Amino acid sequence: MDGDSSTTDTTQLGITGEYMTGGTYVLQAQDDDGDESFNDHEDGNGGKDHFREQDIYLPIANVARIMKNAIPQTGKIAKDAKECVQECVSEFISFITSEASERCHQEKRKTINGEDILFAMSTLGFDMYVEPLKLYLQKFREAMKGEKGINPVTVSEGLGEELTDDSFTGQLPAGLITADGQQQNVMVYTTSYQQIPGVQQIQFS
Amino acid sequence: MSERNMEEKVEQATNSKNVSLPMSRVRLIMKSSPDVSCINQDALFLTTKATELFVQHLALSSYKNGSGKETNTLSYSDLANAAEETETFQFLTDILPKKILARDYLKSLEEMEKDDDNL
Repeated sequence: MDGDSSTTDTTQLGITGEYMTGGTYVLQAQDDDGDESFNDHEDGNGGKDHFREQDIYLPIANVARIMKNAIPQTGKIAKDAKECVQECVSEFISFITSEASERCHQEKRKTINGEDILFAMSTLGFDMYVEPLKLYLQKFREAMKGEKGINPVTVSEGLGEELTDDSFTGQLPAGLITADGQQQNVMVYTTSYQQIPGVQQIQFS
Repeated sequence: MSERNMEEKVEQATNSKNVSLPMSRVRLIMKSSPDVSCINQDALFLTTKATELFVQHLALSSYKNGSGKETNTLSYSDLANAAEETETFQFLTDILPKKILARDYLKSLEEMEKDDDNL
């Protein structure tokens, strides 16, 4: 080595070039920032692969709001209590789901349905939720059905002319929920329209 | 929370299709359970709605059972107490351990050692 006391040559410093450039730096879910951003935003996190599955929580803002509405107006909630309920909620969901899933397996079924969930609640000591939930479900189903009725296929030209493929590029009814693994309501569109003799043409104007 | 309270809440619900928790996130949590393949739409809705009820139930129960010193604020220890005392919430005891001060813990350790010595 020469007499130069300072050097920025990485090899002489005993550090490999790779280390100095940083390489990849993965933020673990244990990191506070990672957890908070995932838990507070409703959108999916871009870094999905990096969190542990047991750390999935519902957004704290939503949880806190529900808590606040449940207790008397003058009441306050400590921050660690909110975080704690967030964890309890994930625990609750897993608790119900695994019970429902087990029953499904016993009956050799692959899809967990509403009945399984209600049964699980009953079994696990939440039977006071069952009746209200049935009512909520009824209203939910009615609301979903209603939406499908309101949004028929939009037709750009009047009836009587052959409907082209273009007229079917319009929106699907808003009530359709498509997600992996769930039952999908499939609507089949035909591309031909037969004019029925004797039936008056309906004017859409 | 009595059953009648529950029914009142249902009647009060104006827009009952609306859930205040993101169903997609609920679905993620459900899917993280082992051996869960498909979840039907009803099941997802019911779970989400039940979770809302659960939050209300837990918050209110814990608040009412409050320590009495600071009844205005719902604290962690109120939740931990509710978990221990209410049968329905006992599944939470593992994730809601009661917190004690370090010096109290060390004291009780010392006492346990003393007992061992006396035997």
